[in-house]
Amino acid sequence: MLNTSEKAYCLALLALKHKDYRAAVEQFDKAAPDFKNDREFNLYRESTRLLLAVKQEVEMIEDEDRLEIEEAFPNG
Amino acid sequence: MSQVQVLKSLEGVLESFLEKVVILKEERLSVLEGINRLDDIARTSEEGFDVTDKVGDWFAEHNQWINEQVLRQGDVDRINGILGEIKNQINKTPEVSPAARKISSEINRWSDSDLTKTTPEKTEPSKQKIVLKRRPEESPTLTEPTLLDFSRVLMNCDIMLKRLSDKKLHILSVLDEALNKANLQKDKQALILSAFIIYYLKQNAYKVEPYVKRLKEAERLFKEVK
Repeated sequence: MLNTSEKAYCLALLALKHKDYRAAVEQFDKAAPDFKNDREFNLYRESTRLLLAVKQEVEMIEDEDRLEIEEAFPNG
Repeated sequence: MSQVQVLKSLEGVLESFLEKVVILKEERLSVLEGINRLDDIARTSEEGFDVTDKVGDWFAEHNQWINEQVLRQGDVDRINGILGEIKNQINKTPEVSPAARKISSEINRWSDSDLTKTTPEKTEPSKQKIVLKRRPEESPTLTEPTLLDFSRVLMNCDIMLKRLSDKKLHILSVLDEALNKANLQKDKQALILSAFIIYYLKQNAYKVEPYVKRLKEAERLFKEVK
């Protein structure tokens, strides 16, 4: 049978296919113990982690922008 | 380039890279997905559940692998190993149903197929290369708003106000049209004029809540286009 890391790597790639980047990062983390020396694995894992971080940052900045409008019309 | 623009550009590059990874690995992904599913079935079987139907479905879906050379030797060994475990579980049951017997013979057929004789040289895919590309660096164009710029904006707002108020009796009608223009045409000038009018109306005790909502929506669309 597949071991936990192999299964997780497989699920991470499938999550990438479905653009579920959060799930992909979780599965990459589970797969890491057996694949941490695999260059390809590390490239995919780090790219996905970076993408998730960028998405969170963009979301945060856009939320701040929304707040600015609300402040301009406090009773609107 | 603003911070958001830089981040969005990086987001686009990374997303496009990962999409290309998925496209490049499409065939492998389908194989891995199939093996992973078979592995799940074997685990269910180990827990004592009847998996006859599930194995039957799996064969129906993946039988073409016998004719198509998509599997590597490692995959074939894996599948055979998992199928062997499923077969052992089926044989453990005291009374083997006809359906289970059929699955058992299907497993034998799979193991005896030419697939198991596949050599790694024949199926190993050629090395492919993914290149991460990005646009050349651009020096940021500084658009620091000046007093002159603001005065131009006011002048253009005045021109737009005159144009939009043609044959209209009330400022709310003008606001409605300005918001429509901002929303549909993603027009920045119309967005600014709408905000001016809303603030003016608010200072004069009008209820501006619905207009503020429309302004926010227009601003969101404008940002998306930008």
